[in-house]
Amino acid sequence: MICRPALTRGSQLALRRQGAAKLARRGFAAVASPKASYEPTTIGDVKVASRDDGGPTTRLAVVAKAGTRYEPLPGLTVGLEEFAFKNTQKRSALRITRETELLGGQLSSYHTREALVLQANFLREDLPYFVELLGEVLSQTRYTTHEYHEEVEDVIHAKQAKVDAAAVALDAAHSVAFHTGLGAPLYPTPSTPISSYLNEHSVAAFAEAAYSKSNIAVIADGASQAGLSKWIEPFFQAVPAQSPSPLNTAASKYYGGEQRIARLGGNSVVIAFPGAALGANQPEIAVLVGLLGGESTIKWSPGFSLLSKAAAAAPGASAKAINFAYSDAGLLAIQINGQAKAVRKAAEESVKALKSVAEGGVSKENLVKAIAKAKFNLLSASEASGTGLVLTGSSLIHGGQPLQVAESVKALEGVTADKLKTAAKTLLEGKASVAAVGDLHVLPFAEELGLRPSAAVDSRLAHHTVHIVILHLTHFPLSVCHGEGTITIGICVWSRDSELGGACRLFASRFLAPRKRAHPESRSHCETKSVNRPAPTAKMTFAWKAAGLTYNRYLAVAARVVRRSLKEDKRLAAERRGQQDLRFAKWSNGKQGEIKNLAEANAQAAVESAATGGTA
Amino acid sequence: MTAPSLYNAVVKRPWLLKLLQPVANWYTNAAGYRQMGLRADDLISEENETVLKALRRLPPKESYDRVYRIRRATQLSLQHKILPRSEWTKPEEDVPYLTPILEQLAAEAKEREALDTMTVLKKH
Repeated sequence: MICRPALTRGSQLALRRQGAAKLARRGFAAVASPKASYEPTTIGDVKVASRDDGGPTTRLAVVAKAGTRYEPLPGLTVGLEEFAFKNTQKRSALRITRETELLGGQLSSYHTREALVLQANFLREDLPYFVELLGEVLSQTRYTTHEYHEEVEDVIHAKQAKVDAAAVALDAAHSVAFHTGLGAPLYPTPSTPISSYLNEHSVAAFAEAAYSKSNIAVIADGASQAGLSKWIEPFFQAVPAQSPSPLNTAASKYYGGEQRIARLGGNSVVIAFPGAALGANQPEIAVLVGLLGGESTIKWSPGFSLLSKAAAAAPGASAKAINFAYSDAGLLAIQINGQAKAVRKAAEESVKALKSVAEGGVSKENLVKAIAKAKFNLLSASEASGTGLVLTGSSLIHGGQPLQVAESVKALEGVTADKLKTAAKTLLEGKASVAAVGDLHVLPFAEELGLRPSAAVDSRLAHHTVHIVILHLTHFPLSVCHGEGTITIGICVWSRDSELGGACRLFASRFLAPRKRAHPESRSHCETKSVNRPAPTAKMTFAWKAAGLTYNRYLAVAARVVRRSLKEDKRLAAERRGQQDLRFAKWSNGKQGEIKNLAEANAQAAVESAATGGTA
Repeated sequence: MTAPSLYNAVVKRPWLLKLLQPVANWYTNAAGYRQMGLRADDLISEENETVLKALRRLPPKESYDRVYRIRRATQLSLQHKILPRSEWTKPEEDVPYLTPILEQLAAEAKEREALDTMTVLKKH
């Protein structure tokens, strides 16, 4: 034993330096062996991706093409998820649980919109047991009636009750963005009618369709390649090669729009735009997500990210940006949760932040930070066992390749401020998908946030005017235009917007004059035609006609309603236009009568109608 | 809950089965439940957790029919009557519908018991 003072100062320093050198070496060693990407292979017709860092534990997952996107009936994915690791032909659910516990493993099943994941985490040497178990669950689960009633149903109800405002808002945003397929809710809410679709038989039929070798991928993190190639083939033999009934794999289409859902307990607004799909080469979206961020990465400060600053301006709300990447579409969503008023404020601030990016307000420093954040997000997601497994599995089952980390990181570094600006601008110019869930009295409309939802009727009318003058109709008895045995009525579509003009032409040709087309040159064109009018057929039953209105009155009422639904400034402008632009003339015997202002004629007709107790 | 039975032992020995079958048939008819339209499984006492659980696992149609048979039998019992001969339960209708579920439950309980009381031998 050496007493302390016996050591010289020099030897103490030398010892310390040695220790420090050891630490430094260890640090370098860790940097030198990063987790590699998943290597895709095929073992016995099953798509397999694996990586092995030689650690003591393994994560093995079967990723099946059975997410909510592919469920033929609502609720089947959650049914299949809950039926995982239940009674099989070989052993009971109880035995599966107990044996797994004895081996120190964990079994879990969860789903995303595209994939259903059956995962087992266990000690490295237990690979054969768990490969056998997963193969057995896929091909030999019994889907018994009593398990459905005693175990599955109750769990689903309990999970349904837990669906919160944030989840509902995300589902609503997906629903308006993609309608069917990806638009199906991730978890059905308690008010979703699933009981008529969900039962053990429908789940078994879905399992048969989904669990085939072409629809699954086995992802292993920390398992030896030799072990996988030895065990997967025998244990996955019973899984059918092709599914007897193909899944519905219609391509996703982005629609956009707005949805508002009143709900107690929790407020959430989701503002979503078309984002980057899985494997799409759009690094700017990833950087934009990094820039918008939301969750602070450092303590005691909102950090640099735009959304966390926006949320800091509205205490009581939290905001974050996420890019949901799917196989053929993506959704870049900004989600804001919290108290209603704070959510409103934060939503306004968030849109302002996005607009500032679109107008080029990203400093160079922030861009560097955003790229660094995007890199971290990417690497961390590929490293973390859960997300990495699911992402790799989803890519494989959709025929793609696992994420190549090095290339993606390189792409991120190439993002410039200009690219980011263009990306943000494209998002804002496109249709947004906006969902508001919670206290609708407070939560904002998309229009109020300054976004363009897709249902563009009102915003269109704010910009364009429809001038309706003349179109020939032979089978509409219009009291204004009765001639002696001849009716010559016309409506001409007059628009400042060629697209809208086209729509009006279409409308005219489809609904008003099936046999006679409106003049293609509708712009400021009045066409007249004199025809011998046959006796009006009594079969036409339009609502306006049944209500005793003339066609002009009907148009006037409809136009008035539309104008009144506009916002104040636009309404005033529209009404002014309405006053000056609507005119009509009565033609009889091929001669044009007096040109009258329709608004005045309408007002007059309304007075007469009121005097006679009419319905208009 | 299943009662102890020599059924399997008898069925394994054809000569014994042949010998006992007429006795069994006589006994079953003499028991009188078929004359009231019941099945043998309707007679299982339902005042215990296992049978109640088994009854919950019956398909809805089976469950409805069971209740109908029992109510009819109760009514007959009150009236001190038996059904007309055409409505008696035929031997081919008198199938065990509850026993398989009870056996399944017993197997589950046995498995649970075995797993609860097992001794774990460690490999290392």
